[in-house]
Amino acid sequence: MNLHTITNALSEPFGYAFMQRAFLSCALIGFTNGFLGTFVILRRQALLADALSHSLLPGVAVAAIFVGLSPGGLLLGGLVAAMMVALGGQLIARNSRLKDETAVASLYIIAFALGIVLIRFSKVRVDLTHFLFGNILGVGDGDLWIAYGAAFITLTTLTLLQRQLIITLFDGAVARASGIRVSLIETLLMCLIVLGLVASLQAVGVLLSIGLLILPAATAYLLTDSFPKMLWSGALIGMICSVAGLFLSYHANISSGPCIILVLALLLGTAYLFSPRYGILMSSRRRGHLHDESLERWEGHQGHDHHLPGPRE
Amino acid sequence: MKTLEAIPQPILGISDLTVSYNRVPAIHHLTITLDSGHCVGVFGPNGAGKSTLIKAIAGLLEPETGSILIKGRPQRRGAAFIAYMPQRDAVDWDFPVTVRGLVEMGRYPHLGLFAPFSGRDREAVDEALELFQLGPVSHRQIKALSGGQQQRAFLARAWAQEADIYLLDEPFAGLDRTSGDALAKALHALRDRGKLLLVSHHSLTEAEALFDTAILLNGELVAQGPTRDVLSSVNLQCAYGTAVYSG
Repeated sequence: MNLHTITNALSEPFGYAFMQRAFLSCALIGFTNGFLGTFVILRRQALLADALSHSLLPGVAVAAIFVGLSPGGLLLGGLVAAMMVALGGQLIARNSRLKDETAVASLYIIAFALGIVLIRFSKVRVDLTHFLFGNILGVGDGDLWIAYGAAFITLTTLTLLQRQLIITLFDGAVARASGIRVSLIETLLMCLIVLGLVASLQAVGVLLSIGLLILPAATAYLLTDSFPKMLWSGALIGMICSVAGLFLSYHANISSGPCIILVLALLLGTAYLFSPRYGILMSSRRRGHLHDESLERWEGHQGHDHHLPGPRE
Repeated sequence: MKTLEAIPQPILGISDLTVSYNRVPAIHHLTITLDSGHCVGVFGPNGAGKSTLIKAIAGLLEPETGSILIKGRPQRRGAAFIAYMPQRDAVDWDFPVTVRGLVEMGRYPHLGLFAPFSGRDREAVDEALELFQLGPVSHRQIKALSGGQQQRAFLARAWAQEADIYLLDEPFAGLDRTSGDALAKALHALRDRGKLLLVSHHSLTEAEALFDTAILLNGELVAQGPTRDVLSSVNLQCAYGTAVYSG
């Protein structure tokens, strides 16, 4: 393969308007959801977000019944349904004995079942696989605007509230004691998750949308000990892998959703095995490091730890 | 003319405080006054309300009756001069944050949402790291510290926050002897700088060496004062020898 063929392979898809839209949408959604994913992972809400992704379906179904297949209507329907599950779950958790994951799991599976039943009543013929697995090549201008909007809202909110979010994620009790309205922050985060899922509906579908949210940040989590680095590398991984997945899907003629997820998975697997600090195959190198550390600690006990702060001058 | 400021105020004044969980009181009608520059141990059997008292002062629990005055004003959440330190098992030690990053969090209450880190903030962080001997490990992720260093990292965060009242929930739990001693010295260094430390503590051994003042709880206030007097056998019999009074 010479340079010319490679350039050709890379530039060929951009000859089509629908592919340009697809790439733009992929890059935007990949970046935004990768960024948001850090918060989801550190809050340990990966499975909660998964539950929410399933609850998009009944909203999409109801929208298909009433407004047909316009992208705006479908997305609005999904947004409303997932919000109802998310906020309903929080409401039930706060005023009953049921914990939030039980409440949300119950609501989402009821919603999912309801969605499948409702889609049968839709006047227009709705192909379920379109919603379950997405169709990036069908991204229209409306979908692009939704991706722009979601990216803008999500990135601005998360950047503005970064300090409060970090304290809340790290330790809820300390956050409450510092006067941060933790439940408000949690609700806001939940709403952003729903927005992120809805925005990626067209690209990867209900079932795979969670992957764009979780996999990039999980990879970044294995690679760094710095919060800002995790945030930005999650976003970059999300963007680059989404675009790479789309290239792959174009040339191998496989549907885009699974392709994007598998590219992300490949990176996660690599980090899981080979991350310099946390990869499981790097343990032989780590052993030396631990030895140094215990030596250091032992030496510390010889004097360093005992030398304690004297009075301030 | 005598102004309000001229009247010496105790830094922490608790009067008639009752705190309940689901309408079951955990502490009843406590009245306690504490001044700065003390290291106060909070003692009592399980369920006596040690953590409840600490959390109420931190503003995490609403009083059912009574009031908590700090520097003469009603306590409110978010006051930078109160630092609450969680129990060790409540912390996510895998969180992607270095020791320095943790101490920097102490500056957030002073910065608000948008203000960028200033030279003064960096100075406060450097000072806290140095004071608690964390300089050499400041770049480490918080899990890669010894137990004692972890506790000192949280104290450093509170110092960077410029807190005057330190609330610690069972900080000695799970620490070995050496780390415990180091923590005690750090607490005493803070006391000597005029801070008020309230520390819930499970064990009665060496209580006198650790704390100059003690509060003994049994759902109610059993005794308060110098540690030696409070932990007398009569008081201990009263606190531990009977069932916890629970309404």
